[in-house]
Amino acid sequence: MGENITLEHPIVKKNKRKFKKWTGRDITLFTLACMGIAFLLVFSYIPMAGIFLAFKEDDSRYFNIFDVIEFAPWAGFGNFEEFFNDQKFWSVVSNTLGLNLLMLLINFPAPIIFAILLNEIMHSKYKRFVQTLSIFPHFISWVVFGGIVLALTDMTTGVVNPIIYFFGWGSRDNPINLLTADYFWGLLIVISMLKGVGWGSVIYLAAITSIDSQLYEAAQLDGANRFRCMLHITLPSIAPTITVFLLLNISNLLSNNFEQFYVLQNPANIKKSEVLATYIYQMGMISRKYSYTTAMGLFESCIGVILMLTANYISKKVAGRGLFG
Amino acid sequence: MEEVMKSSVAELEQSQTQLAPEQNGGKKKRSKLKAMTWFDYVNYTFLLICVLFMLYPFYFVLIGSFSEGQDYMGGGVWLLPRIWTVANYQVIVSDNLLWVAYKNTTIRTLVGSTLSLSFTSIVAYAMSRRELKFRGVFQILNLITMFFGGGLIPYFAMINLLGLYDSFLVYIIPAMYSVYNMIVISGGFGSISEELHDSAVIDGAGEIRIWWQIYLPLSKAVHATVLLWLAVGNWNAYYSTMIYTQGGDHVITLQYYLMNVINKAAYSPEVGGEILEQVTPRTVSYAAIVVAILPILFVYPFLSRYFVKGVFVGALKG
Repeated sequence: MGENITLEHPIVKKNKRKFKKWTGRDITLFTLACMGIAFLLVFSYIPMAGIFLAFKEDDSRYFNIFDVIEFAPWAGFGNFEEFFNDQKFWSVVSNTLGLNLLMLLINFPAPIIFAILLNEIMHSKYKRFVQTLSIFPHFISWVVFGGIVLALTDMTTGVVNPIIYFFGWGSRDNPINLLTADYFWGLLIVISMLKGVGWGSVIYLAAITSIDSQLYEAAQLDGANRFRCMLHITLPSIAPTITVFLLLNISNLLSNNFEQFYVLQNPANIKKSEVLATYIYQMGMISRKYSYTTAMGLFESCIGVILMLTANYISKKVAGRGLFG
Repeated sequence: MEEVMKSSVAELEQSQTQLAPEQNGGKKKRSKLKAMTWFDYVNYTFLLICVLFMLYPFYFVLIGSFSEGQDYMGGGVWLLPRIWTVANYQVIVSDNLLWVAYKNTTIRTLVGSTLSLSFTSIVAYAMSRRELKFRGVFQILNLITMFFGGGLIPYFAMINLLGLYDSFLVYIIPAMYSVYNMIVISGGFGSISEELHDSAVIDGAGEIRIWWQIYLPLSKAVHATVLLWLAVGNWNAYYSTMIYTQGGDHVITLQYYLMNVINKAAYSPEVGGEILEQVTPRTVSYAAIVVAILPILFVYPFLSRYFVKGVFVGALKG
């Protein structure tokens, strides 16, 4: 971190001199940092070591995870072969990927646009009003939000069907059940948008407000109108922020918010609503196929890491910056 | 890691300087105020419509919760209840389990968030010190866990092994530390002037005392932000109750209770039949939803200024 600063620093100089000796301060700091690592050891690293479960056989005789860990025979890559050959698994993966790609296309740019539009508001009170209210849904749990979605889309008491009918789709006697497989993705994208767009825009708006206003003034002198300012000043200035979030989104292409899907799942939409997060829960906690589930989890983790590293590499080549260094 | 830390520090500094002089932003805006063009009218209206869309769902549930049950089920209650009643609230409030869940969730939110913030903050302090020995190793060990994990089953086995399964502590202990929050907080610490640390050292203060008496008070905004995340996360958590407990009285949380009310109409009211006649499971579940968001609604106006002012900038970077 900033070498010239480090060199000039009196404390660091002192430490450099007594490189070998640990002072009381060093020991305190070291212990504190170790406390964090101790926590991670228990809740992250040891479970990470538990992925060897993925290479054990699933056996209905062993109902307890620890019995599987101890007694189950090794399966090699058997579990992986099993789910690679499983039609169900691939439909789950394609749901996960398909939905996440769609969301990347629609729900990712939405907060950016929202923030740019919000920034164009000249009355700061109105701006604050819109922003404050648009963030609110983020703070509501998915359980509550799911309940609200069920209420809104209800076929007799809901409000979505009358709206759809008003715009000329469907009929009054034959309301559409929006919680069936056909409409699930659309529904999910819309409600994710409602819940997330305000919150997502906070970071972009903050990035926009830190842009030097002289840039705009200079552009206006040169005769640029507001749209050109948006396109040529605002957007490039927040590009680094966008890149960071894009990379994070890409590395999460296989993960989903479990609760979001769980609260809206029903037998009528399971074909389209089963994603890896819920499928892993289903297979692991309900069907108790521990090894099989761990293998799937390992697959998900590895793909996530690969996606992240690849995206990071490409971003560094193309945009000159990535998540790290 | 270095890069992440650096950028978050830089932006936090930015956001803090932004925070302090309020007039600065005001001045900028005043000079921008010009005549409204057609674009402004469209934009203002569009954003208003967006906000209405975001808030109407909550309003819809609110009016449902004040509606007479049988009448509501006939449909068409979109703007105001046709027959007003508070019976739904009488029913849900009379369910003892709601208050048990409320109590558990409150304890979890208060204790869990405070403990997690304190622990994460003190570790973050150590991690933010440049003279920390093996700092690079610590950073890498922390960072790895953000991107790779053992998955559900090994973690579940660990929870069992520690005897946390179906215990209230499962809400507290595994949530004590978060690498992400650690990075955010140490970003905040990093923006504090090094001279302060030096002078405290000269005065003979120990590291923990420096953290507690200098660094903590100086980065209140970051801590408030992280505390808010933690509190909201705790209040809204459903997954942990479902997976790591059996949902008994000692561990039931508000969201778990709510899920059962919404999906299975699982509530046991202790009110007279004439009140029960006025409700349906549907409208009662609306009342339960309103009761569950009430605390958030109550604290929201006090907290919203934090996000609007952009304390989150450095924070949201991963």
